[in-house]
Amino acid sequence: MTAELYTPEFLIGMVVLIVGTIAVAFPRDNDYLTRLINLEIPGWGLLLVMLHYNEALALFTFAAVSVLSTYIFVRVMQKKEGI
Amino acid sequence: MIAIYLCAAIAVYAALRVVTERNTMRKLPFFNVISFAVTAIIVLLLPGPITILAAAAYFVGSTLESNAIASTWAGGMKKP
Amino acid sequence: MNDIVMAASLILILIGMTAAILNRDPFDKLISLSILIAGVFPFIIDRGFLDVAIATALIAPLSTIFTLMVCRRVKT
Repeated sequence: MTAELYTPEFLIGMVVLIVGTIAVAFPRDNDYLTRLINLEIPGWGLLLVMLHYNEALALFTFAAVSVLSTYIFVRVMQKKEGI
Repeated sequence: MIAIYLCAAIAVYAALRVVTERNTMRKLPFFNVISFAVTAIIVLLLPGPITILAAAAYFVGSTLESNAIASTWAGGMKKP
Repeated sequence: MNDIVMAASLILILIGMTAAILNRDPFDKLISLSILIAGVFPFIIDRGFLDVAIATALIAPLSTIFTLMVCRRVKT
């Protein structure tokens, strides 16, 4: 698709995406808050992988939707734990 | 060209200091140092008028984030 | 981008990712996540997406502030 296959953004994005996904699936403390903070690591890895393919509109949309989903998760946790 | 190398070295050194620090409150000044260094790297990578706007946006956002973490750690807004 | 600046950004990303996974305190995790975000920005600027950089730099602290609404100080 692109001329150069292995740019540094693609490689480091894949490393961050895979390691972050493993960290979300098996966190050290089995807690809602730890899992929510770990969930932001693969988001930035996915943003780096999207940067490799030169898609500006995808980057805009992903950055906006990521914050929205974080807010929804925070509201769910507040309702469940009764803070 | 020596300025951007100096900023990169400062950023890496401050990141190592943040990781090896034990107290949470002592991590925040070194995080501010990382913020200054990355702002300088952004300006020196691609000189232009809009790049200065991007660097200002990153600087404002990073300072706001650091102040929010410090404010919440120090007690935050008490509910009456 | 130079090789030295790119290596510094890669080191920032790797340090931030490792420290964000291995820490246990939520505030330490948020500070380490900020180091990871600081390492991502030179890559976005180097591709030339200045508008994406402005939008992301203004949106990323909102995510941290929303997460801080759940964090409470545990000790003392």
